[in-house]
Amino acid sequence: MKILVVDDEKNILKLYKAELEDEGYEVVIANSGMEAIDLFHSENPDLITLDIMMPGMDGIQVLRQLKQEKPQIPVIMLTAYDYRDDFSVWVSDAYVVKSSDLATLKATIKQVIEKKS
Amino acid sequence: MSEEGGSALIENLDCKGAELNRFKTLFALTKTILAVDDFQTVLNNLCFESAFFLNARGSVIRLLRDENLMLVAQSGLDVRIMQERKIGEGLCGQAVAKKITTFFNQKEAPDMTPSIEGIQVGMGTPLKIGDNVIGALVIVDKMDEQRNIIPFNDDDRIKIEDFASIAAIAIEKSMLLEKAIKQENEALRAQKQAETLRDYLQSLIKNSSDSVITTDLGGIVTSWNDASENMFGYSREEALGGFDPSVPNFLSEAEKHYLEQIMRGESIKDLETVRKTKDGGIMDVSLNMAPIKDSQDNILGVSRIGRDITERKRIEKDLMRKNNELSRLLFISSHMRGTLELDKLLRMVLTAVTMGDGLGFNRAMLFLVDDKAGIIRGAMGVGPANHDEAWEIWSRLSMENKDIHAIMEEIERSPMSKDSRMDRLCCGITVSLEEDTILTRAVKEKKSFNVTDVMAEPLSDAILIQQLGTMAYALLPLISMDRVIGILWVDNLFSRKIITGHDMDVLKGFTDQIASAIENARLFEKIARTEQELENIFESISDMMYINDSNYVIKRINRAVVDKIGKKPEEIIGRKCYETFHGLDSPWELCPHHKTIVTKKPYVEEVDDPNLGGTFLISSSPLFSKDGSLSGTVHIARDISEMKKLKDKFVAVERMAALGEMAAKVAHEIRNPLLSIGGFARRLEKKLQDDMRDQARIIVEEVRRLEGILNNTLSFVRSSVTERHEVMVTDLIDDIFTLLEPAINERGNVLIIDVEQPLLLMVNYDRLKEAILNLISNANIATQNGTIKIKVYSRSTFEEPDLLGYTAENREAVIEISDTGYGIKKEDLDRIFDPFFTTRPTGTGLGLSITKRIIEEHGGRIEVDSNIDNGAVFRIYIPLKGGSHEDTGGR
Repeated sequence: MKILVVDDEKNILKLYKAELEDEGYEVVIANSGMEAIDLFHSENPDLITLDIMMPGMDGIQVLRQLKQEKPQIPVIMLTAYDYRDDFSVWVSDAYVVKSSDLATLKATIKQVIEKKS
Repeated sequence: MSEEGGSALIENLDCKGAELNRFKTLFALTKTILAVDDFQTVLNNLCFESAFFLNARGSVIRLLRDENLMLVAQSGLDVRIMQERKIGEGLCGQAVAKKITTFFNQKEAPDMTPSIEGIQVGMGTPLKIGDNVIGALVIVDKMDEQRNIIPFNDDDRIKIEDFASIAAIAIEKSMLLEKAIKQENEALRAQKQAETLRDYLQSLIKNSSDSVITTDLGGIVTSWNDASENMFGYSREEALGGFDPSVPNFLSEAEKHYLEQIMRGESIKDLETVRKTKDGGIMDVSLNMAPIKDSQDNILGVSRIGRDITERKRIEKDLMRKNNELSRLLFISSHMRGTLELDKLLRMVLTAVTMGDGLGFNRAMLFLVDDKAGIIRGAMGVGPANHDEAWEIWSRLSMENKDIHAIMEEIERSPMSKDSRMDRLCCGITVSLEEDTILTRAVKEKKSFNVTDVMAEPLSDAILIQQLGTMAYALLPLISMDRVIGILWVDNLFSRKIITGHDMDVLKGFTDQIASAIENARLFEKIARTEQELENIFESISDMMYINDSNYVIKRINRAVVDKIGKKPEEIIGRKCYETFHGLDSPWELCPHHKTIVTKKPYVEEVDDPNLGGTFLISSSPLFSKDGSLSGTVHIARDISEMKKLKDKFVAVERMAALGEMAAKVAHEIRNPLLSIGGFARRLEKKLQDDMRDQARIIVEEVRRLEGILNNTLSFVRSSVTERHEVMVTDLIDDIFTLLEPAINERGNVLIIDVEQPLLLMVNYDRLKEAILNLISNANIATQNGTIKIKVYSRSTFEEPDLLGYTAENREAVIEISDTGYGIKKEDLDRIFDPFFTTRPTGTGLGLSITKRIIEEHGGRIEVDSNIDNGAVFRIYIPLKGGSHEDTGGR
């Protein structure tokens, strides 16, 4: 199970990678929207966590491109604050508010994977 | 016989002594009688002659009148003589009483009182005609040659008796003659008087302007004066010897009756009757009839004095008619001036024209001129539809015996009904002013027309003939201010009465009266309509409108004012505006109205009126009277409380949005590093042992707290789409109670839960729990050793009525959280729901704003009531079924 984690904060990428690998997932990280698209193509991840607010290409733009190319790909939106009113967010599979406690995120990843399989 | 003749006779007679004396006496007497001029002279002569005859000083004659002897003549006596002697009294009386000659001698009877003062001797002898004594002759104081008084002797007695016998006859004759002359004179005078009277009467009769006719008792004319000829046209020759030709046949019975009355001796005075003239006319006369009587009061005939009163009658009738018409017109027009309802006025006019008691036409219509449309339009018609109806109406009217007054008043009182056939016919008639007909001419030429035969009049209106079947009609223009405003049309279809010039005159007078009244009513109607429109606008405006006088007294108000004040109009009008609107005793300084009164300028201001409970946009404008002085003010007040609230809310939203934006940025910038700190700390916490692990946990906990604050902030910013479920309010409160019980106990407070009814709410359980939790938690913090009360109940609310006036009833749940704590300062009340506003040093200032957001998310609202040191009450209102369950959305 390969997860692509996208965030503009390198520390967060490092934390997520460590925590998710602890959970037994293979983790690929992208530091920007553009990189996320590249890695999506090259790594062919099973699931993507996507930070919304990023400089340059933001998470919503990435989400749109991913879903256009591969509608079945599960995407979990991560955000510092609520973006659920943005219609494009609706196409994502889940929505998790960032927190230092990654329990929610981990639970959500599990749910999404179970739903998809 | 002449005196010379008398003397010759005496000379020729050869006689002597007594004989001669007798002759002398007779001669003297004859002379006396012949010398008579009148009775008194005879008496005077007799006295003189008798005294002379007997050589005495004097004599008197008394005549018997009414049993007394009256002195009628005396001679030679210049002494006092009694005028009157009774029979048997004195010389004279004794002579009469005894009917013989009596003597008197002072010496022989000294105690006797003679009627002639101072006489010495006397001799009285009665004056007799046959046996009848008429008086007495007394001779006194006989004298001798030496003028000594000597007594009378027997010779003297014979002399006086002879003289007296002749004197008596002379007196008697003289008296008779006197009487005869008197009688003849009287007869002459009487005759003369009678002749004068007759002449007078005759000339009177002849020259009288009154007819004087006499008839015998059979009614046959016996005299016929000039005036009778002139009045009745029959000459004297035609009239005499027959019945009075001036008595019309239909009065012959009455005439007989009068004759009978006259024969009973009665007379008839000032009888007003009629007489016919030779040319067949009828003449009004005033008649006096009286019996003609002879001197024995026998009735011989009848006199009739007749006076021609045709003229008087005519003038009288004219006067009465004029008077009637005038009073009728005055009455009608006074009624009409009082009536400003056009329809009623028209009905009055037409009724007046058609009523028997009014002008008496069969049918009448009113046309009004519509200048704009260029037509004459039938406005109203009155009259029976056909003959049957005509009779029916007329008989009914006469039965009801209503006079025009009653009917006019009835019209004025009763509602108008326009349903008669005539009315419908009339209202269906329109004639273009471009046509050339009688109707249009009446308008254009301002002329009246009396069309006596529609067939002979080429300009008769065909429409009238066809629709109304009229044969003859008249129409008159109604002219007001020199403009024809309409036409009055009349006809007499049923009675066929010809419309006369007089009728036209009366109608003319009438139309002159009514035209201006109709014009007034028309104008009034127009004004009334405009006024009504204005009134409607005034009333229907939802803003409060009212008009005050310059003394702050409310004069007029509209519906909105009544609704707002909640009193009856009569309880508002007439009161001072500052009392009614502001509940003050004197004008409110802040009120624009007050400013307008002071400065006489208009003001438009927003005013917060605590008395009316709201914010009002008030426009106040001065009203000026003609002389330029301030007469009052007009106000329009719009309740902008709602608008103000919305505006305030909008401002708050703006502010929150800005805050939210910032909060989101801050959150984002802080959350990421926090996430790293917290995340790695958790990893460390898992990997480290003992003290290090505890220290890592501290980092984790602190980060969690920071993230909590951040989440609170974000929770304020975001209003998420939350799922709702049916939630029993009791479950919710129990849950909260369990959570907070320790904290409440800790502060020594008592929590009272009062759920009036188990309400089922459609809410997001967690969100609502968070909101209520916040409130109870706040209450707990504000209160120590006090009471916190949660009360739950429901109540009805009413929506504004919809277009159909249907008012929807909604119910809402009320959750009331009250405490006995230190309360909220008044100035803080408005701000407690603002984000980041807090009175507590440790507060985030987000709790109440989040609570409010949550409640609003549920379509509800929150209110607070508090006084400092007196606790606080928060009330949450959440709609129950029927209320809005939609999300309010938001970010």
